[in-house]
Amino acid sequence: MDQLDILKSKWQSQTSDVPNYSKEQLRGLLAKKSSSIVKWLLIIAIIEFAVFAVLGFFSHGLNVERNTIAIIGKPFYYGSIILHYAAILVFIYLFYQNYRNISTVQPTRSLMNKILKTRRTMKWYIWYNLIYMMLVTMIVAVLTIEHDPNIVKLSQTQEFMEHPTLFYFMMLGAFFVVTLAMCVVLFLIYQVIYGVLLRRLKRNYNELKRMEI
Amino acid sequence: MRKDLEQEFVQQLEENQNIVHKICRLYTNDRAAHNDLFQEVTVQLWKAYPKFRGDSKFSTWMYRVALNTAITLYRKSKRRVNTQDYDSVQFKIADEIQDDEQMEQLSLLYGAVKQLNDIEKALVFLYLEDKSYREISETMGISEVNARVKMNRIKTKLTNIINP
Repeated sequence: MDQLDILKSKWQSQTSDVPNYSKEQLRGLLAKKSSSIVKWLLIIAIIEFAVFAVLGFFSHGLNVERNTIAIIGKPFYYGSIILHYAAILVFIYLFYQNYRNISTVQPTRSLMNKILKTRRTMKWYIWYNLIYMMLVTMIVAVLTIEHDPNIVKLSQTQEFMEHPTLFYFMMLGAFFVVTLAMCVVLFLIYQVIYGVLLRRLKRNYNELKRMEI
Repeated sequence: MRKDLEQEFVQQLEENQNIVHKICRLYTNDRAAHNDLFQEVTVQLWKAYPKFRGDSKFSTWMYRVALNTAITLYRKSKRRVNTQDYDSVQFKIADEIQDDEQMEQLSLLYGAVKQLNDIEKALVFLYLEDKSYREISETMGISEVNARVKMNRIKTKLTNIINP
C-alpha cells in the first residue's frame, strides 16, 4: 500500500500535543515507582504466600489442643506441617526464579511467556494449597468421626444408633461440603484477580502465537 | 557512580524521547494516559539501563523496552479524562507547508492505525520507524517470514478500514 509509505515518509516529522520533557522533569520521573503488571504480580504473589502460610499456621495452631493430636497421631500431625512448609519454600523458590527471568529487554513474545509462566506457578501454588487442605481435612475428618469423644457420643444417641453408616457419611459429607465451598470461593477470587490483571496480556500473547501457525 | 549513570541516562533519554512519545500517542487516547505510559516506560528503561552494554544503539534498545512496556506491562487505566487539548487521532507534522488533502489522508490513515490491536500497532510502528523485517522479528519474537506475512495482512486491513 502506497499510503502507508507516504505516512512513513512523514512519520519522523510528526509532533505530539504533549510537550517534550526537560532533563529536570525526566530526572523527576526516574524517582517514581513502577505500576506495571509485573509489580502487581509480585505483590499478589507475596499476599498469596502470606495468606496460605498464615492459614496453614492457624489451622495447625487451632488443632494444637492435645486431644486433636491424640486423635490424628503425632506423625501425621507433624508430618503434614513439615510437608506443607517445605512445599511453600519450593514454590517461593520457583516463583523467584520465574520472576527474575522477566526482563523488558527480551523479545515481546518471550517476555509474555515468562510472565504467564510466573502466573502458572502461582496457579499451581493455589491448586496445591486447595488439594492439600482438602486431603488433610478429609483425613482429619475420618479420624475425628471415629475417635472424637463428642462425635462418638452423638453417634450413640437413639436416632443415630440405628443408622451408623448414614451417620458416618453425613458427617463426612458435611466436612467435604464445607471444604469444597472454601476451595470454590478461593478459586473464584483468584480467577478474578488474575483475570483483571492479565486479560490483555493473554490476548496479545495469543495474537502473537496465532501469527506463528 | 550512580549519579554519573543517571546523568548519562537522562541525556540519552532526552535526545531520544520522541520515540517514546510516538509510542505513547499510538497506544493511549488522552493526555493523562499518555503521561502515565511515558512515566512507566521511563521507569522500565531506567531499571534495565544498568544492563545496557551499548552493543546496540540506545534507540534500538529503547524500542524493545518501550514497546514491551506499552504492549505487555502497562495497565490501561479505565479513567477517561476529557482533554480537549489532546488530539491523539489527528496526525500532525512539524512543518506547516503541506497539502491539505494529503494531510487529511494521512490523518485518516493514522486514525486507522490507532484502531488496530496492540500487536499490529507494534508491527506498524516498527515499520514506520523504518526497521528491517529482521529487526521487527527480533523485537517481537516471531519469525521474519511471519512478520512479513502479518505486515501484508495489516496493510490490507488498513485499506479496508479506510475504504469500507
